[in-house]
Amino acid sequence: MSRPAVEFKGTKEGVTIFCLDGANFEDIISNLKTRLQQRAAFFAEAEVRVDVGSRQLTSKEKELLADVISNYSKMKLAAIQTLSDRQSAITADRGSASAADAMREGYREGRSLVIKRTLRSGQSIHFPGHVIVLGDVNPAAEIVAEGDIFVFGTMRGNAHAGVSGDRSASVAALKLAPTQLRIADVISRSPDEDTLPDHPEYAFISENRIMIASVTTKFGM
Amino acid sequence: MGEVIVVTSGKGGVGKTTTAANLGVGLALLGKKVALIDADIGLRNLDVVMGLENRIVYDLVDVVEGRCRSKQALIRDKRYDNLFLLPAAQTRDKSAVTPEQMKALCTELSEEFDFILVDCPAGIEQGFRNAIAGATRALIVTTPEVSAVRDADRIIGLLEAAELNSPQLIINRLRPDMVKRGDMMDIDDILEILAIGLIGVIPDDERIIISTNRGEPVIALDKDSASGQAYRNIVRRVMGESVPFIDFDENKSVFNRLKKMMGLGG
Repeated sequence: MSRPAVEFKGTKEGVTIFCLDGANFEDIISNLKTRLQQRAAFFAEAEVRVDVGSRQLTSKEKELLADVISNYSKMKLAAIQTLSDRQSAITADRGSASAADAMREGYREGRSLVIKRTLRSGQSIHFPGHVIVLGDVNPAAEIVAEGDIFVFGTMRGNAHAGVSGDRSASVAALKLAPTQLRIADVISRSPDEDTLPDHPEYAFISENRIMIASVTTKFGM
Repeated sequence: MGEVIVVTSGKGGVGKTTTAANLGVGLALLGKKVALIDADIGLRNLDVVMGLENRIVYDLVDVVEGRCRSKQALIRDKRYDNLFLLPAAQTRDKSAVTPEQMKALCTELSEEFDFILVDCPAGIEQGFRNAIAGATRALIVTTPEVSAVRDADRIIGLLEAAELNSPQLIINRLRPDMVKRGDMMDIDDILEILAIGLIGVIPDDERIIISTNRGEPVIALDKDSASGQAYRNIVRRVMGESVPFIDFDENKSVFNRLKKMMGLGG
């Protein structure tokens, strides 16, 4: 199956619709129509932003996009943003930026700890920030982080991201096979069967449960 | 200066003592002067496996507490003149020795011996810390079981913390038939988790039990056994030789491979 041309993502400001880079505009419009028909009721009267990535839309295309959204849903179009909007949001002055904050969806900052070795059974890392491991995390090793956890290797141990309650924290690994995963106050354990996909995966909280997604589909790369 | 090698595992019952005894005999057979130290104070076994139980007069604790010189406590093996055993005390416990005392003892012995093999107790407490204190090299014994591999992983981490780097792995009691059926971890599974160098694989062999009960290590007692051959290979690798690994998969025997090449075998 080919990837959908548009992807819906909930944010604290409302809904953002991401357009797949490389998809042509007709596909985006037709895909948007079908998705809105299926799910318009779910989104109700939310505010919606459309992120068109690196493409530049003509004013006609922008109108068409706005028409589709108003005809197929009750959502209010707040903005059409591009990749450069997203980037300028990061470089924007941090002191004055509530508008920029709204654009910074998908970016997290903070202290981080980089560990360039394998964590073995019984070894334990506690850190008030993000933890990045270049190596494996073996069974019965643990990482407890206030932020995100990234493992460039196989994650077989226990991971607890967002330990002080940050539900937007996540755990990602080239091979994600943890004994137990915790994010903030949510716990999950590994499934009892052990088939591992060959691609990197990413764990996050969605609707009070820990969900696992492939990193590539999650980030649309 | 001799090398001080600790044989350790974390988990009990995976074959540390048997391995220490066989490697000791194997090195002695190649003309090296070898001392075996039993660091399992209170639960000594190495003397029994070596068949030297009845010759013990002084032990490790007597040496560190100064009741005798190390030379008096070292028991010469009954078969090999250049193999010696320093037995553990049975009536004391691990706290009778400190890591500093063990280090001093190993340093002293390394002036006279080519190899000092320390048989480490199971566990990660004082006995383990004593056993590794004087070591310059570590051999880790595991069996193809999840629990043993988990403990080996823990031990490797502790050795790293003690700056005893690059330990080497011995996989003991491998059953090729079970691996083939998918009922046992195979060598690659184990190496993927532990990620250290492999120095030998010993097949499961009832002759080990027979030789252990007779107090004569299999490496010398049963020269045709697969386990004895595996130990001899490890001995040569310990001495720095590069020895190919035995392939225990019977289907890969020369005959079968020939058949396969000629299109006869499955």
